[in-house]
Amino acid sequence: MTEFYTLRIAKEDILRTLAEKKEASVDSIKGEVKASSSLMSKALEELEKEKLIQIEGNFIKLTKIGQEKSKDILRKHLVLENYFRETSSEVTAHRKAHIFEHYISEEVVKNIQKLHTLKERGIPLTKFRLHKEGLIADINTPNNELFERMVSMGILPGEKIRIMSVIPGCVVVKIKNKKFALGDDIAKKIRVLEYEKS
Amino acid sequence: MKNLKILLIGQPNVGKSSLLNALVGPRVTVSNYPGTTVEVTKAKKKINNAEIEFVDTPGIYSISDRSEEEKITERALFEEKVDGAIIIADATSLERSLYMVLQILEAEIPTIIALNFVEDAKKKGIKIDCGKLEKLLNIRIVPINPLTKKGVNELLDTTLKIKQTVKQGFGNEYDDHIEKAISEISTQVESNLPKRFVALRVLEEDEDFCKYLRNKKVIKEVKKDLEEHHPKVAEDISITRYGTASFIAEKVTQIIHLREEKEFGEKIDRVLLHKTWGLLTTGLFLLAIFGILLYLGNLTQEILMGLTEKLLSSFGAVEHSIIGMVLIQGLTGLAAGVSIALPYVFLFYLLLGLLEDVGLLSRFIVNTERFLKKIGLPGKSFIPLTLGLGCTAPATRATRVLSSKKEQFYTASLLPFVPCSSRIAIIMGIVGFYGGRILALSVFVAIFIAGLIWALGLKKIFHIKSEPLLLELPPYRKPLIKNVLSKSWIRMKDFVYIVIPLLALGGIAYGILKILNITNIIVEPLSPIAVWLGLPAVTIIPLVFGFLQKDLTGAMLISVLGSKISLALTPLQIYTFGIATTIGIPCIIALGILIKEFGSKKAIGLTITSIIYGLLFAGFLWRIISIF
Repeated sequence: MTEFYTLRIAKEDILRTLAEKKEASVDSIKGEVKASSSLMSKALEELEKEKLIQIEGNFIKLTKIGQEKSKDILRKHLVLENYFRETSSEVTAHRKAHIFEHYISEEVVKNIQKLHTLKERGIPLTKFRLHKEGLIADINTPNNELFERMVSMGILPGEKIRIMSVIPGCVVVKIKNKKFALGDDIAKKIRVLEYEKS
Repeated sequence: MKNLKILLIGQPNVGKSSLLNALVGPRVTVSNYPGTTVEVTKAKKKINNAEIEFVDTPGIYSISDRSEEEKITERALFEEKVDGAIIIADATSLERSLYMVLQILEAEIPTIIALNFVEDAKKKGIKIDCGKLEKLLNIRIVPINPLTKKGVNELLDTTLKIKQTVKQGFGNEYDDHIEKAISEISTQVESNLPKRFVALRVLEEDEDFCKYLRNKKVIKEVKKDLEEHHPKVAEDISITRYGTASFIAEKVTQIIHLREEKEFGEKIDRVLLHKTWGLLTTGLFLLAIFGILLYLGNLTQEILMGLTEKLLSSFGAVEHSIIGMVLIQGLTGLAAGVSIALPYVFLFYLLLGLLEDVGLLSRFIVNTERFLKKIGLPGKSFIPLTLGLGCTAPATRATRVLSSKKEQFYTASLLPFVPCSSRIAIIMGIVGFYGGRILALSVFVAIFIAGLIWALGLKKIFHIKSEPLLLELPPYRKPLIKNVLSKSWIRMKDFVYIVIPLLALGGIAYGILKILNITNIIVEPLSPIAVWLGLPAVTIIPLVFGFLQKDLTGAMLISVLGSKISLALTPLQIYTFGIATTIGIPCIIALGILIKEFGSKKAIGLTITSIIYGLLFAGFLWRIISIF
């Protein structure tokens, strides 16, 4: 069971690489997807069983269903990479997308996609309107510990947020049914966009 | 007989202490790690020929954060040699609980999840598939409800079998570059702890774990390799972990109909978290609490003093013997101790525990934040500061609610300016009685100004900046009285064992000094202080010996000056005396607790500095006033 996720990631990476290249040799895939060779063959085996790819000799091709699925994965990756590119350098954007893509939920991806189609990158939470539903676009903090703490509390980009009350010096927000009081110094670092239901 | 040591871990407000209560009942012992102040409670449970010791840790969100609570939990995790851990998860926000689960599993500690608030989640339209979650994580999940004790027996059974049933749990995997870095660091790890775990902690910049590395250079090398793809590797690790947690949570959670809460709690919050009403209600609440405490404090003190006097008069002639006099002072101290412990300590903690469990406390913290932030304190510090109006000793103890040692000491350093009930009695009884109400009031104003100057000065000198406010506001819940009671007892316990004997001892010491008639000896060398304050030399006696027994300051003043104080002292002198006796760490008991909390160096340093500051302030003030 433990291996399931690694296997899942390997499979997703293979599909994404294929989506970019249409057709590739097993070796070139191995060059792109840096999983162990045993995991790699297992991933390829499963993908073939699921009728997502076809292996002919040394070449791999996507099937019809495979093409559909790989497009989704590629889209997810590109959405994230584009999104992060707007705030960070190319390299950082790539690395963030790389990490996020396997883990993030479909809803958050949809939200993020919406985020990057919007021109402006949100406004500081301190300036956001009361009771309006928003989307956390970015958290800008150089402080690792604070960032980790916020993430572990469930405050992170892509989550919906709503200001419940403003008190001098702090804002009270609701994220996923949990209420938080955030000091102004933290709230300033959270950038929020207006959220519209699609 | 089998012995198991099990750690209880969970986020704040996840129902950890209620679970401990449900598991073993209220019999718990408190222990502190040396040099720290956050409590760890332990409790034993005998069951079927085996004994399980539960170690309860402070509520945390993750183990990698560096607040005092987290450090304690980490220490408990690795120093207590635990056989396993029970993580209490919140069904209403599973992904957040899973974040910590993943971290504990990285430490390769056998883990069971106790899933709390399943009913609450259901009401909110969230259903969790425990079987599926069990399979995904490869660890046991037991749904519980500490209030109805549902699932508690199953949890105990599962805990007994923790070593047999728990296999290798789910292992979170990171991005290739990070994985490579982990395996490179792992080769240098020399420790009983899992190598992968140590490597991760090192990558997450936890300096406590660097000591397990054979060659520390590896960190720099690895970081250099990571620079291209992961310049902020610690951040990426936490994002990945949270991503995995929410991925797993999403797989096992079924959201039927998420409906926006429009319930009772929201209505209360509309008032309590309102920008003006919130502050007003908080202020009224605190005032009411303080009023109740002051009233009950005086009442118990009167009753106990009456009883003591009756007891003493039954000794009759003994009163005039040496032992009798020592005894009288000792008993007076004891009575004072009990009359502090009962209302100011137990009742205060009872109210505090109640406010905490109901969910009101966090709202109060939010409302007090804006004022306390100005002097560099977090909102939470209102708890020890309010308690300081009752008694400085338990208030010093209560600074433990703050998260860092530095904040704790800084808050304690403001207690010299928060007059306790004994000091209030001096101001009202001496200054107010002999000098009038307005004079008494102006003493309070002067102390407040002195405190403000002190706080702003310290803030500037030591660059004190309060931690940014980041606080979860838990939903309102019905409190479990048993839980509140046991919590108050834990909190007041060592106060009772230290302070009451100290008060009795202080009384006895004063009694002895009085009999030996050496109280006058100190008048001569310390007379410059009296000159500085513009007071008669004999007033040194109540000023100095008040430190042994603050409640006796008034009586001592009368005994050295005679009962016609208004003839012996001018109103300005009464005023100066009031300020000089009030500012500072007030008494030997407060000093005792300070030493216990912060060590003798800091405690004595603060006591002396604050007293000198008070004397200087009072001296300057009367000079300034007398100009006009």
